[in-house]
Amino acid sequence: MTFIKKHIPLALCFIFGVLTLGSYYVPNKASENYLEVMNKWENIVAGFAFLLGLFSLFFSHYNKIRRKVDGWGYSLFVFVGFLIMVIPAITSKGIQMDGATLTGLGWNYRFLFNALSGTMFSVLAFYIVSTAYRAFRIKSPQAGVLFAAAFILIVGKVPLGQIMWEKTLGWTHVGISQIVQWLMEVPVVAGRRGIMMGLAIGGIVTGLKIIFGIERQYMGKD
Amino acid sequence: MLKTRLNLSFFTVLFAASAVSAAVPASTKNIPTAPDLSGFAAADMPYDKGEAVLVSWPAGPADVPGAVYQVYASSGAAWLKAEEFPAEKKFAADFELPFWAWSHDKAKHAVQLELPQLFSDFKTGMEYSFKVKYVNGKVTAESAPVKAAPKADLFNLARLNNLVLLLVIIVVFFWTVSHAKRKGLFIRRIAGLDAIDEAIGRATEMGRPIFYSTGIGAMSSVPTIASTSILAEVAKKVAQYDTQLKVPHFDPIVMTVCKEVVKQAYMEMERLDSYRDDINFFVSQDQFSYAASVDGMIHREKPAACFFIGHFMAESLLLAEVGATTGAIQIAGTEQESQLPFFFTSCDYTLIGEELYAAGAYLSKEPMLQSTLKVQDFGKAFVMVSVITGSALVMLATWLKWPLVLKVISHIFKAY
Repeated sequence: MTFIKKHIPLALCFIFGVLTLGSYYVPNKASENYLEVMNKWENIVAGFAFLLGLFSLFFSHYNKIRRKVDGWGYSLFVFVGFLIMVIPAITSKGIQMDGATLTGLGWNYRFLFNALSGTMFSVLAFYIVSTAYRAFRIKSPQAGVLFAAAFILIVGKVPLGQIMWEKTLGWTHVGISQIVQWLMEVPVVAGRRGIMMGLAIGGIVTGLKIIFGIERQYMGKD
Repeated sequence: MLKTRLNLSFFTVLFAASAVSAAVPASTKNIPTAPDLSGFAAADMPYDKGEAVLVSWPAGPADVPGAVYQVYASSGAAWLKAEEFPAEKKFAADFELPFWAWSHDKAKHAVQLELPQLFSDFKTGMEYSFKVKYVNGKVTAESAPVKAAPKADLFNLARLNNLVLLLVIIVVFFWTVSHAKRKGLFIRRIAGLDAIDEAIGRATEMGRPIFYSTGIGAMSSVPTIASTSILAEVAKKVAQYDTQLKVPHFDPIVMTVCKEVVKQAYMEMERLDSYRDDINFFVSQDQFSYAASVDGMIHREKPAACFFIGHFMAESLLLAEVGATTGAIQIAGTEQESQLPFFFTSCDYTLIGEELYAAGAYLSKEPMLQSTLKVQDFGKAFVMVSVITGSALVMLATWLKWPLVLKVISHIFKAY
């Protein structure tokens, strides 16, 4: 049993890990075909896993309704929403446009799904304001630096700020746009590159740990 | 009479000679000459998958403005015009290949021809004919046809620098793993990971759930794998304290893996009786539907702690900000540096950069896993030394005008 549950998955992980890594250095048609086959298999597994996810979703919400837990009414919307999309999809044969006219599925997709997704995305604007407010409360020297940088950027990007800068500090002959450009091109890029290099090294080491079977927690069993 | 004839002949010869001597330089100046295309050659394009051919010929004084080269290819039937370009362009030196894999010859024209774009019945290994034609007004020249067959290569020599670096990392990796110490390895404290105990303790005291999101990454992405490692350690502590854990998922495959991970954690803590199959549940594979659903749950259930660890995009702020309004302790970590500022401002602790990948080893306290943290440190040290040395050498080479040194440095540190 250990052989099936532990050794075979580890061997598969090693073989396919090394092959995928090697395909980066082998510019052969065979390595290209191999990657294509792997992608196809991933899509096939994802397709079956999606069914599993759907069952999990229904099971979880069905239990909430059955047990009448707090907010069970929201769970009803999962089923209602599912039917609202699936029934028109079946009747429209999965087609969104019939010539120039929208089918039931197309109408639902455009006027319900897209509208709701857009609404969620637009909520971000409000959250950015509240986050900015929280970030601008200077409680530490680091928060002070953050505030100073953000303040300069806001002044530099808003026309009113640019006018104020010109009126008050125009005599210095240093444009606010130059300062903003320097901030974005020097300290910001330096910080980002530092993080990216750390991430790249961490990613490589994690990949090696998985390929060589040192990291096994994702398998869920020892 | 004879004298007169001799004088006439002498002056005629003199006049003709002067005309000829004046005409020779005029012909080289005004009438364009045709290039010598006898050096035209075709060969398999190196380091490709066997679909391209490289044609080359020597550059010369005929490469003047207004002149063009036309490259033709044939699979046996008619000739197809594959390329046409000004004569003073496309040299071997223009190829973006490193010095150890390519001769950057400025005195040689070189053109890479992608044959599948020319021939619908293209086959790797089949012989094709090529020729080049020079056109400059009325002056034309054509090379003799040459044959070449594209073939697939087994190794991309241009990526040799990458392979050498990878091999060095693998050697260091195995060295550190084989020297894994049972005790005494110093690891810098990571505040975000130390706070996990505090967050779970708080949830236990308040009797509220813990939310753990692995983000919207697939199981094949490294941050998601790192997140499952952290989830395993969080689940162990949750099982130990008998707290409620909720893990909403974006990807069904990640959900399946996480189910196994959490179950194993409960089993290790001998609390399998507390394990429920609905700890991990699927929500949606749409980014904003997922965010809306998790936001709703966080808002209604008011968790004591929220973990956002994995791959996050625009939903990072949507999730973290709602969690912050409920007063939950929030710990976040992502590889997306564009989302880090949102986590910094909305969460109590954020795992930056490689901390995300070090977290699993840090929490597990397993010597072999912890020893791999050394590899990350060696890697960072290597990057620091490379950046400092490379910058100093580039500055020195620019100052002393050493183009060769500049070329070597830029090629060594470039990804091909």
